[in-house]
Amino acid sequence: MSTKRSTYSIVGKSRPKLDAPLKSTGRSLFTDDIVLPGMLHGKIVRSPIAHGRIVNIDTSRAERLQGVKAVITHRDTGGVMVGPDQMLLCDDTVNYIGDEVAAVAAVDEETAAEAAELIQVEYEPLPAILTLQEASAPDAPILHTYCEDNFADERTMVYGDPDKAFAESEYVRSDEFISNPTHNCFAELHVALADYSLPGKLSMWTPSQTAILFQKNLAQNLGLSESNVRMCCLNTGGAFSGRTDVKPHHYIAALLSRKAARPVKIMCSVDEEFIVCRAGGNNIYRFKTGFMKDGTLKVIEADMLHDCGAYVETQFIVLLLTGIMLQLLYKVEAMRYQGKLVYTNNIPYYFHHGGGMTPEQFALGQHLDLVARDLGIDPVDLQLKNAVEKGYTTLSGTHYASCGLKECIKKAARKAGWKKKYGKLPPYRGIGIGCGVMSSGGKGMFVHDTSAAFIKIAEDGKASLFTGLPDMGQGSHTTMAIIAAEALGITTEDITVVSGDTDIDPFDVGSFSQRGTFTTGNAVKAACLDAKKQLAKTAALKLGVKPSALVFKQRSVYPKGAPEQAMAFEDIVFDTLHSKEGRFVMGRGFYNSPSDKASLAYSFGTQIAEVEVDPETGFVKLLRMTVAHDVGRAINPLAVEGQLDGQAFSGAGQILFEECLMDSGQILNPSRLDYKLPRPFELFEIEHIIVETNDPFGPFGAKEVAEGPLVTTAQTIANAVSNAIGYPIKEIPVTPERILEALKQKQKQH
Amino acid sequence: MKKIITLEVNGDLHEVAVAVHQTLLEVLRDKLGLTGTKRGCAVGTCGVCTVIIDGKAMLACLLLAVECQGRSITTIEGISSADELHPVQQAFVDQGAIQCGFCTPGIVMTSKALLDKTPRPDDEQIREALAGTFCRCTGHIKIMEAVKTASQYERAEKKSD
Repeated sequence: MSTKRSTYSIVGKSRPKLDAPLKSTGRSLFTDDIVLPGMLHGKIVRSPIAHGRIVNIDTSRAERLQGVKAVITHRDTGGVMVGPDQMLLCDDTVNYIGDEVAAVAAVDEETAAEAAELIQVEYEPLPAILTLQEASAPDAPILHTYCEDNFADERTMVYGDPDKAFAESEYVRSDEFISNPTHNCFAELHVALADYSLPGKLSMWTPSQTAILFQKNLAQNLGLSESNVRMCCLNTGGAFSGRTDVKPHHYIAALLSRKAARPVKIMCSVDEEFIVCRAGGNNIYRFKTGFMKDGTLKVIEADMLHDCGAYVETQFIVLLLTGIMLQLLYKVEAMRYQGKLVYTNNIPYYFHHGGGMTPEQFALGQHLDLVARDLGIDPVDLQLKNAVEKGYTTLSGTHYASCGLKECIKKAARKAGWKKKYGKLPPYRGIGIGCGVMSSGGKGMFVHDTSAAFIKIAEDGKASLFTGLPDMGQGSHTTMAIIAAEALGITTEDITVVSGDTDIDPFDVGSFSQRGTFTTGNAVKAACLDAKKQLAKTAALKLGVKPSALVFKQRSVYPKGAPEQAMAFEDIVFDTLHSKEGRFVMGRGFYNSPSDKASLAYSFGTQIAEVEVDPETGFVKLLRMTVAHDVGRAINPLAVEGQLDGQAFSGAGQILFEECLMDSGQILNPSRLDYKLPRPFELFEIEHIIVETNDPFGPFGAKEVAEGPLVTTAQTIANAVSNAIGYPIKEIPVTPERILEALKQKQKQH
Repeated sequence: MKKIITLEVNGDLHEVAVAVHQTLLEVLRDKLGLTGTKRGCAVGTCGVCTVIIDGKAMLACLLLAVECQGRSITTIEGISSADELHPVQQAFVDQGAIQCGFCTPGIVMTSKALLDKTPRPDDEQIREALAGTFCRCTGHIKIMEAVKTASQYERAEKKSD
């Protein structure tokens, strides 16, 4: 299904990112690099206990400390709520270790830390609810007393007739899987710099995936008009789904700034980083599927419990994503899903890379691998038999205008030498396959999923592209510049991307839900076509042809078939401005998917992993990954490869190493050494297979490559490990301890 | 209690008053305005703040500024000229080894220190040198390629000299 070599001048050619030279010199500014005149430093006082009543807060000693400029507690917040269940700064109850109780701002970080120590909070401990089982028991004590139970949210989805489909199935299997909490571990820690020194305007610098949502939430909760909140999201040091929402430290920085009438920066310490949120909760997945003996999948049933910690934040989205996901990848007759978010006194759960879908897809992938073994079907054949295709409409009504899933499966299997290896590897060597699907957009949170873009073209033929889409490292700004350059017929170097300031940028929902390339890309293309139309009017007059007969290519404009008559692009711009009309060329565009589904375009992927397990130590060595992904069109293949690499690595981390070790609500390993994550010694070989299906709705055919590869990786590696040890993987991460335990269980069975 | 010390950074001498417990990282960033060295974990676990001191890659967050008197400190600001990136920087750009860019200055400095001593490192030597660095975006895959490319660039540069 791969399309022939494209005829585009710029799209599809690998190029370094536009901002890479600046980043290589350290001159790119991150939030912590910004120092405002008179800036203070903030420090948050956090609860040391998982659950308790606040008896008294005494701030008097802190207030008397030389250099302290503001101290705030719940009495200073004006009742600001951070979420539906979360008060900014606790008033009478603390609900997790890390819950914010008070905060100070002082002339330097040391004074702020000293002042925070001087705030005396007296607690009366309450029993803490720490596990999903405890919290969901019928007689469980209720964490938020205004609730009827500990279920923060629940969602049920039913498509088709699951009971009938199960009754007709020739084979039914059930499995339960557990995933443990993880953390994003961004290179850049949580940080916020707020300037609310004058009451009329709050400016905030912070790493973010969405300036717009930050602006909206801050404005709404602080009682400001949206335009009076200016978000500056310059560079973001990694996000991995974990920077999509305002967190308490953002509000606290703002309120401290208001009280002290000076800018305030709050920089989390590295151990504090781990208690701002766990990113990926403790989840229990129960899967039941019905098959025909020939491997035809008929029905999927899933029951999921997610430990959302003390506050629900925006985790209701996880229920939607993990539910819908179940029927997007395989042709299935019926599906039933029930998901619950469960309150506990653990650190609130927030998104990790893959938005809850990574562990879910691990569980589903491992479950299907076990089905394949039971039915005696090669897992590759099972995938091929049930894979969705172009033209297929899912139970939820999602239609696939492009789909390269089968091509991914076949190419990955061939490249990895699946036939030669599956079932034929030496003991403790394993191979596994996984497949995934991902939407290129996230309609659902609002009625719209809009991105807008402006482009202005200067007399020298160079253009400034204004976008509200943040670039957290994935290279979205370069991708937008390539799209703009291709649409205008100029070069990528001619484009300056202007972004990161809500006072300037047009509206853009943000860089999450894999929406950048597809949604903002379409908006950028529309803006450029608008500008091009204005230029074409001038060029058509000069060249004596219809505007529709013009070609814009490589900084020149000429009538189709007559490149010898070419005019320079900048001359057309000059002539348009220096005309009677005096038109300054500026284009505007926006895009909102006309569908009511998450997106019009979905990416698909297949990966194959090879591992070696040491039966003595339980250590897994990931040897090689073959990563195939249908990206529609690779706008910048170098950046696509970077996405594939990073996600394979992240998935490997989530499956093999990463776990927030929790004890009584306390994280035991809040350090970048003790929270094990892959580093250069954990490197593996990687083979990229970029599949291009030229999506009819994507800008130049492009779809997402933001999280699709990741949700495929986790299950792939788990399946390979399971293949190596000949025993199911029921809990992740599969640490050496869990491998040894699995080997012990296996021995017991024999 | 502050102490006045002289630090040699990128060939320039700076006289600064520092508290004895202040780290080199704090002094570089807050007093000398050299914010190219980023503050990562600040406790020696991520390698983000790596600088080169007397030819060795070292973590600026684990050094006291007062310890650095009389030593030659090179930061990311000191390796490129106004017109040209350092070959290591150019290789990182060309190979797509930079994503969010937060860890990049530290990894570039670590790689430079390696190549200064070992101009043709093998994979194991690169891995060992980079073991303490931290990149969550690239999976270190293109970083490995970049270090090898940098080694080629440097050799080509020497040849043409």
